[in-house]
Amino acid sequence: MHKFLRTLIPADIAKGLSITGKHFSQVFFTANRRKVPLHIVSEYPEVPAKVQPRFRGRLTLLKDEQGEIKCVCCLACEKICPTQVITIEKGKKEGRKMPFPVRYDFEMERCIFCEFCVESCGFDSIILNHQFELAAYNREDFSLGTEGLEQNMFEPSHAGKFSVADD
Amino acid sequence: MPTPTLTQSIVITLIQCLLVVIFVFVVVPLTVFAERKVLGHIQQRLGSTRVASGHVGFSGWMNRSMWKMGRVPVLSYWRGIPGLVGDVLKLILKEDVIPAKADRFVFFIAPSISMVAAIVVFAAISFVPGTFFTLPTWFPFVGGLPVSGGIADINVGLLWILGVATVGVYGIVLAGWSSNSKYPLLGGLRSAAQMVSYEVPLALSLLAPVVLSASLNFGEMSARMATGMPAWALVPQVIGFLLYLTCGFAETNRLPFDMPEAENELVAGFHTEYSGMKFGLFYLAEYINMAVVSALASAFFLGGPWLLPFGLQGLVNPYLPGFLSWFGAPHAIFFVAKIIFLLFTYIWVRGTIPRYRYDQIMAVGWKYLIPLALINLLLAAAIRCFAV
Repeated sequence: MHKFLRTLIPADIAKGLSITGKHFSQVFFTANRRKVPLHIVSEYPEVPAKVQPRFRGRLTLLKDEQGEIKCVCCLACEKICPTQVITIEKGKKEGRKMPFPVRYDFEMERCIFCEFCVESCGFDSIILNHQFELAAYNREDFSLGTEGLEQNMFEPSHAGKFSVADD
Repeated sequence: MPTPTLTQSIVITLIQCLLVVIFVFVVVPLTVFAERKVLGHIQQRLGSTRVASGHVGFSGWMNRSMWKMGRVPVLSYWRGIPGLVGDVLKLILKEDVIPAKADRFVFFIAPSISMVAAIVVFAAISFVPGTFFTLPTWFPFVGGLPVSGGIADINVGLLWILGVATVGVYGIVLAGWSSNSKYPLLGGLRSAAQMVSYEVPLALSLLAPVVLSASLNFGEMSARMATGMPAWALVPQVIGFLLYLTCGFAETNRLPFDMPEAENELVAGFHTEYSGMKFGLFYLAEYINMAVVSALASAFFLGGPWLLPFGLQGLVNPYLPGFLSWFGAPHAIFFVAKIIFLLFTYIWVRGTIPRYRYDQIMAVGWKYLIPLALINLLLAAAIRCFAV
């Protein structure tokens, strides 16, 4: 009998409708009157997206306080890279004891973002930053190096206009 | 008031047709847009706020800076509207594929049957019983003549509406059959069975207003149900209203009775093989049917062009102060507002209730709704016999 009455009287439906109606009216009427917006979807292209701290984005070379490249060309990252996207050429630079990478090439189109290179690096000279907007029109644009205007390993990619800044 | 000649009355009827057609074709795209926005707000997102490259240009800059300030830009509320134009363009420009083994004529005619059956119903719906407005005397040729709020307020209006609306089932069955494919056939059969079985409680729940108002005329029924009814006639009307709404949801194949589009069982039901504007006609017919069901519900159960539902307006009317007499008069604004509220309810229910299983739909229809509709009819008959 109880079950029959529950079927007849649409109390559950009314409860569900009240919940969704509450959410609707809250989001609809208080859209601009609160500091924290009630809708839960991020406004991605307008507002920079927040990614988790362990997010693995694009490979970046780091510099130390003097503005020197930290990399010492131990080739650990080149050796461990499963897809062999890193190419390093050892060289010398005046006033620097350690070897200096004359060429540090990173071919992003084949990178699988496994972070083995960062883990193998003994000098903390590379990281995977938080940049995820990596689209480009040409295959050449995916080859990043230490030199070049728009394909620089130190600068954020020109594709990521709205993405988070490197931290 | 001068008596109109034949040509004058034809011109006036054309004006009424124009008004109704404008209403239909304004309500449908607004419903589609409102569906996106309301579902978005129910799910705590904002719905469509931009179309394609929305972050360029002046308005894009405005939007971006407002987002950065932590404000919801007002512009973005309406930026999804161009999406409607995009949808229509996509439907028109899409290639119209006809399956090789399909019955070409029936395949061609089925969407039009659905669409025509949906639109023609509006011929008998009168938005305002009697005169809607009188044309000004300077109006050429038909100046000074009254225009009624509807196309034809015929005296078997409800019969006409139910009869024509049922033809829509033919469109669905023929579409499913003529596609010559298994999924559309199954989907068409399922929706046909569903629509046929919900036709019964729908008609039974609409019989209660007929019994109570002793008329089949649309305007007279809505008038009696709104103003000529004692307040305690309201009880069976509430049950009848819920019954009618449930059956209306099922009739228009909307969620939670969304059988044709059960994507995980059938691909897309009876319109799997349809593309382009043929599919667009089915789409349009669904939304026009929603408007029809809302119009009937608002006329017979929510007071129609009067303000208060369930006959309460008749109680309020004598006690209204003179300057508020506008509330007691029939007005199309009330009717349209009720239709819009019911369309909102459609979307609201869609955002709330999950889809039924097919056997559950049939069980609800036959085991609960039909007995309930009969009980409701019995109540209405008792009230009619002993009280009204």
